[in-house]
Amino acid sequence: MIHVKIRILFSIILFSISPLLFSQKGKVSLFENEIKKRTQKFTQEDNFKKAQLFFLKKNWDSTLVYSMKQLSFKQTSLELANYCHFFRGISFNQKKMLNEAKKEFNAISKTFEFQKSINNILGQISLEQSEFKKAINYFKEFENIPESNYYDIKRSFINHNLGVCYLQLRNFNEAEIYLLKSTKLQELEKDTIALVGAYGDIATMYYEQYKDNLAIPFFEKAYEFSKKVKRYDLKKIATQNMSVVEENRKNFEKALVYRKEAEKWNDSLTDQNKIWAVAEVEKKFAIKQKQEEIHVLEVENKIKQTQRNGLLIVAILLLSIFGIGLYFYRQKIKTNKIIVLQKENLDELNATKDKLFGIVSHDLRSSVNTLKTSNIKLLSLLETKNYEQLDLLLHKNIAIANSSYNLLDNLLNWSQQQTNQLFFQQESLHLFSIIQQIVYNYKPIASEKNIEIKTNIDSTIFVFMDLESLKIILRNLLDNAIKFTNENGVISINTIKTDENFIKLAIEDSGIGMSNAAIQEIMQEFTKLSKKHNKEIIGTGLGMQLCKSMLQKNGGKLEIESKIGIGTKFILFLPKVIFHG
Amino acid sequence: MDKINILIIEDTKSEEEALISVLEDNGYNIVGVAKNYTEALSLFYNNKVDLIIIDVFLNGQPEGITFAETIAITPNIGKPFVFLTSSKDRQIFERAKLTKPFSFLLKPFNELEVLYAVEMAIEKFYEQTNVFVSEDQDTVIGTNYLFIKKKNALKKVAIDDIIYIEVEERYCNIITQNDKFLVALSLTKITTLLDTDTFTRTHRNFIINTNRITEIILNENLIILEGNYKITLSEKYKEFIHKYKILK
Repeated sequence: MIHVKIRILFSIILFSISPLLFSQKGKVSLFENEIKKRTQKFTQEDNFKKAQLFFLKKNWDSTLVYSMKQLSFKQTSLELANYCHFFRGISFNQKKMLNEAKKEFNAISKTFEFQKSINNILGQISLEQSEFKKAINYFKEFENIPESNYYDIKRSFINHNLGVCYLQLRNFNEAEIYLLKSTKLQELEKDTIALVGAYGDIATMYYEQYKDNLAIPFFEKAYEFSKKVKRYDLKKIATQNMSVVEENRKNFEKALVYRKEAEKWNDSLTDQNKIWAVAEVEKKFAIKQKQEEIHVLEVENKIKQTQRNGLLIVAILLLSIFGIGLYFYRQKIKTNKIIVLQKENLDELNATKDKLFGIVSHDLRSSVNTLKTSNIKLLSLLETKNYEQLDLLLHKNIAIANSSYNLLDNLLNWSQQQTNQLFFQQESLHLFSIIQQIVYNYKPIASEKNIEIKTNIDSTIFVFMDLESLKIILRNLLDNAIKFTNENGVISINTIKTDENFIKLAIEDSGIGMSNAAIQEIMQEFTKLSKKHNKEIIGTGLGMQLCKSMLQKNGGKLEIESKIGIGTKFILFLPKVIFHG
Repeated sequence: MDKINILIIEDTKSEEEALISVLEDNGYNIVGVAKNYTEALSLFYNNKVDLIIIDVFLNGQPEGITFAETIAITPNIGKPFVFLTSSKDRQIFERAKLTKPFSFLLKPFNELEVLYAVEMAIEKFYEQTNVFVSEDQDTVIGTNYLFIKKKNALKKVAIDDIIYIEVEERYCNIITQNDKFLVALSLTKITTLLDTDTFTRTHRNFIINTNRITEIILNENLIILEGNYKITLSEKYKEFIHKYKILK
């Protein structure tokens, strides 16, 4: 009866081993290498790569996840699927989900590289599920496998497992052979933990057969070895076995000692378990705390972010308000500038308008008045039939009317130019023809004063100007020249070819001339119309200003050379026609 | 050579008289004076007009421009014209400018200005500027007439009346049915502006009006034209004969 008890106590120490669990530290096992080598070609498959990585790291859950992902792809090849199922099988086995593991292994095709590893694991599963005959079938295959193989099969474990199987089937002869064989191998490997189990198993085997003499040394050996290992469960079982043995030998004192030791180990075991449990709880607690901390930090982060966003929005708002303000400020400055400019312009225009009124009231009034009185005189002369005087007075009147007309014409042109109402179009003009047309009008007036007008114009010259501008300029200059030239004088108009952009046209008279101050006054920017220097001759400087601005508009310019008492020379720079291509 | 026919559109009597006297003194022919738009149109269509002088304002309205616009947009009846105005008002001129090509005459005007404006109008209309003022040319080639400057004024010669043209350096001797005269006209201008279907070169110095051919004597290299003019046909220019069907 006692033996039965012992057997129960000593029930099999199962080597429910995953090959990887036993891979030696520091050395990569052949199995791992082989897996790496053979799955090299699948590295472009992202999920499989991860599954393999986690598999080698023994992270079983992750392996299961990624292999599942890989399998869900339809394009996964047969070989790749085999590896995935293989990884999953091993992972399930490690997690003690034996039926799941079996399912995975069965999904693998028979031609798979690691079929032998699979059979080994299936053997272990059968053993664990107490299907001993089935297990033996699996293990038998590897009884004589070479010690170094890449299937991660250890001969010692195979033999041990076979031994355990036979022992369970109460086939003691076979069990003895295999257990001794495995023990021998394990002794060679110096695997203490395995040896404790192995010696225990052998001892149990002999004890079951009531071969106490053979059994006891093995129990003792197991006990001795158990002292060297740190596994309390093994220590406890070995010590318990010893106490049972001593009890059966009626050596109760020793049995008691062993029993107490066993209890001590049992306590240690439960302590250890408790410590682990406490550690587990602490770990969980710590994790929880950490998570809470993380949560708090996250919340803080969120608050900070919202604060930052708020600040940013406020900053943008302020900036845009500032920008808008700046824009309006600038606009205001601009409009102010425009207003100031307009005011200046208006002042200028007002001044010129006043001047024009002055001209109209003074010059025109006096000439019209002269005409009025002289007309009355004409009537009386006609009555007295004084024809000689009549003729003289009529010629005088014509001259006055002429100059008044010219003045009016200038006034009109000038005011139209000021308000930009003149049509302006520059074109190619034959200078000779234009000068002829102007001179034609002045010949009679000039001959009245016996003034000779000489023209010497190059008839091949074309200028690029507005026709009416050119005519106004020529008319004014000729009018001036005749006005300021005494009787029997000479006015000459001639061209001097100059540079490639301008034609120089000189209008020279033998008149009274001008002082440098007068010239400067003419050349000055307008607004102030020059004052009269020769009071008896109507002239206001308006004509000269008109000439200047007309020339400017056409892209030309004016120069004056003069000597008092000798004459004045106006030099016009007229833009040439530039023929393109 | 014939006188140039001018139509005047003007409603002020004194201006009209001044214009007529200047133009008639210089050998121009006045075909009529219109006082308003409708009169202008009927005179224009009932007379052979070579040039029109248009007062911009008729009875205070810019009807002159309206008339110019009317004839400018009607195809194939366009004639050179001169705008007559007393002010260079920009708005009026901008509108007048659209009836390009145009020439204008500002009141008050003198004789030279009138003649110049007429010449400019013809030059601009036929797009041959700077002809009449230059020293080496005096002829503008129009669609039906040659306009030739003789002394101060222009004359015209119907292109159809030309029998042949003899080219000598810068000058051309133009022979018509009743006349013969020398003009300054370059050969290139003749060949580019005269209708090549009618006028063809038969010799380095001769351009003939093919409508005036009476006989071609191939073995003597001679062309006989109306008026019994005999023109040499040089090898180089024989090509043109192929345009005609030769009866054998």
